[in-house]
Amino acid sequence: MGTFKWLMKKITKVFGHSTNALFYTSLYREILNEINDITNDEEQSIKILREIGKKAAFESCERHSGIFKLMPGTPNKVLDYFEILFSVTLGMEMGELSYEEIPKEGAKYNDYVLNIKMDPMCAGYGDDPEDTFDFSKLSEDSEGCSAGLAGMLESVANFILKIKKSDYRIGISESKCIVKGDDCLQLNCKVYDHLEWKEFIDSKAEERRTSDFYFEEGVETEVEQEAKLDFFDKLQEVITLDKLDELLDEPLESIKQKVADLIRDKMNLEPEKFFDYFRNYEDDMMRIIGFILVHLMNEYGGLIEKPLKSETIAKVAGYAFKHLKEMVLLFIPLDVVGDYNQLFVSFLDGLAPPEMVENVRQFSGKDTITYIFEGAQIAFENLGINFSELGENIWEELKREREDELVPSEQSMMERTQEKFPRVIQIIQELVMLLNEILTLPIRVLISESHYGIKSAVKSVVSEEEGLYGSVRERMDNIFDQIQEIRK
Amino acid sequence: MNYTKADVFQAEATMNQMRNAIYHLARFMDKNGKTDQIKRLRRMGRNIARTIFNYWKPIYMVTVVNVKDVISTIYKKIFISNVAIEIKDDLISVKENNCALCKYHYEDVNIAGCEITLGLISEFISLISKKSKDISSIYLEPYKVEQSKALGHASCIQVYKIKSGGAL
Repeated sequence: MGTFKWLMKKITKVFGHSTNALFYTSLYREILNEINDITNDEEQSIKILREIGKKAAFESCERHSGIFKLMPGTPNKVLDYFEILFSVTLGMEMGELSYEEIPKEGAKYNDYVLNIKMDPMCAGYGDDPEDTFDFSKLSEDSEGCSAGLAGMLESVANFILKIKKSDYRIGISESKCIVKGDDCLQLNCKVYDHLEWKEFIDSKAEERRTSDFYFEEGVETEVEQEAKLDFFDKLQEVITLDKLDELLDEPLESIKQKVADLIRDKMNLEPEKFFDYFRNYEDDMMRIIGFILVHLMNEYGGLIEKPLKSETIAKVAGYAFKHLKEMVLLFIPLDVVGDYNQLFVSFLDGLAPPEMVENVRQFSGKDTITYIFEGAQIAFENLGINFSELGENIWEELKREREDELVPSEQSMMERTQEKFPRVIQIIQELVMLLNEILTLPIRVLISESHYGIKSAVKSVVSEEEGLYGSVRERMDNIFDQIQEIRK
Repeated sequence: MNYTKADVFQAEATMNQMRNAIYHLARFMDKNGKTDQIKRLRRMGRNIARTIFNYWKPIYMVTVVNVKDVISTIYKKIFISNVAIEIKDDLISVKENNCALCKYHYEDVNIAGCEITLGLISEFISLISKKSKDISSIYLEPYKVEQSKALGHASCIQVYKIKSGGAL
């Protein structure tokens, strides 16, 4: 599984509110039953269920729009999306999936048909007396049990395309249904260009107008032809996860060129003029770098801000940050920090005014690290960590929690805290190990470099199987699992 | 071979979209002139309880002695939620800070999603008691949703009324 899919699945699982899946599917069934109680028309009910699914998913997407900026934004990635969409929508793993591409002459993107062997929405339908909706009354053309799910998937897919400013939209409809007697759930994914999409939404609006039952306004929106992009949208065009590998291979000069182009293009300034604003304020510039790095990471779906809304996580993150700040120079030799500083000077050389380059050259590696951490700390404060409330170290905090446990009279509260306590410790341990993995990276790179050269060194250290990447992912897996358990 | 309901009962699902769907259903009911939404949502909860009861029975008997533990177990298993429970006279108040069915305050909706919870829990307890046929068994009736995040409160409080075995 790719990093992106793994990350999205973990995020949705940890930060969504889960319930028992049978409750979920039974609630879905009850919504359909209640609709049908009003319409007394099975086909209409299925259509309304689909509309409700679309609206419900759209509402969720709007609330968490940042998270979707991570997604690559072209319809032909629909299959890459699909597993994620399914997980985001249902919070459940999707079973065996096969697909066929339907060629569309003259079109930029083909359509797809997806066959999903196992569908939790249809699971055991008809086994219980409460399964009262009569699917046999539906015509062959009608969608079936998973129409609401298809509506949700369509909404999420189109929200991503909208947020990524794509000119295309995807229509997802259920063409085979296990409850209707088919062997699998089949979903048709039809890709529309903006003209076809306009026709499609017009036809849907007409359908709503002629319905005997009230349909609220649909969530389909026309493709915005001249939508304005914000700075971060544009930045994401340059730095996306799937371009990470390319970036690792870029030599410094090429990166400098890209940054220079970015400044010229987005800020309408020559790089030298841009950096001139920071002349004699080089320390502030370093702080701004730390500040921006944190906010930039957060821009990918609020990855930092969202977990920090939990007071416990904010505290743990605050202590971890303080730990990192204090320990960084113990782990990374000063000459290595100096090398990074030299690398930064080389980066500025040619982009910034010579006087400024000289001022930055005067910084010791320690200064640079301190300034960057100061900037990052301000950003973390913005995002929810209250550093002034933190104790000297994490153990003081844990002691404080233990003392608190003695106060509540309600036994279940004490038991809950006791249950969570080992998990908090485990998270801290994983975080400390994670920091160690990251902090020992330069040493590993140096050793590898002496044997294989820098490019191979970087590749070997970040490799998925044995390197930093694999370790980080494994540790993050554990951390996510522990957070999920605590949230229960 | 598709999943069975027993398989599905072993899994968890993220509620975000389905929670929103409840309020879109409420709007749909409202626009179609259905004013008995509380009754309808509680009916949904009762039906869900009847289905889940076929796949999971947390205990064979509910009495005034264990009712708090049973309720807490059902909330934990079905809603994956920790609750604080208080019994005063014949009323049981259940406070949920993290209700699966209510999270946001909707200005245009006058009903709480946890009406479904009220229907579900009372029916579940009653099903256990009906099956046990013990004289000391108790039954629950939905009383009211006292507070709900969907109505602008900080947490959700569902209130149930206790009925003794002989009363039903």
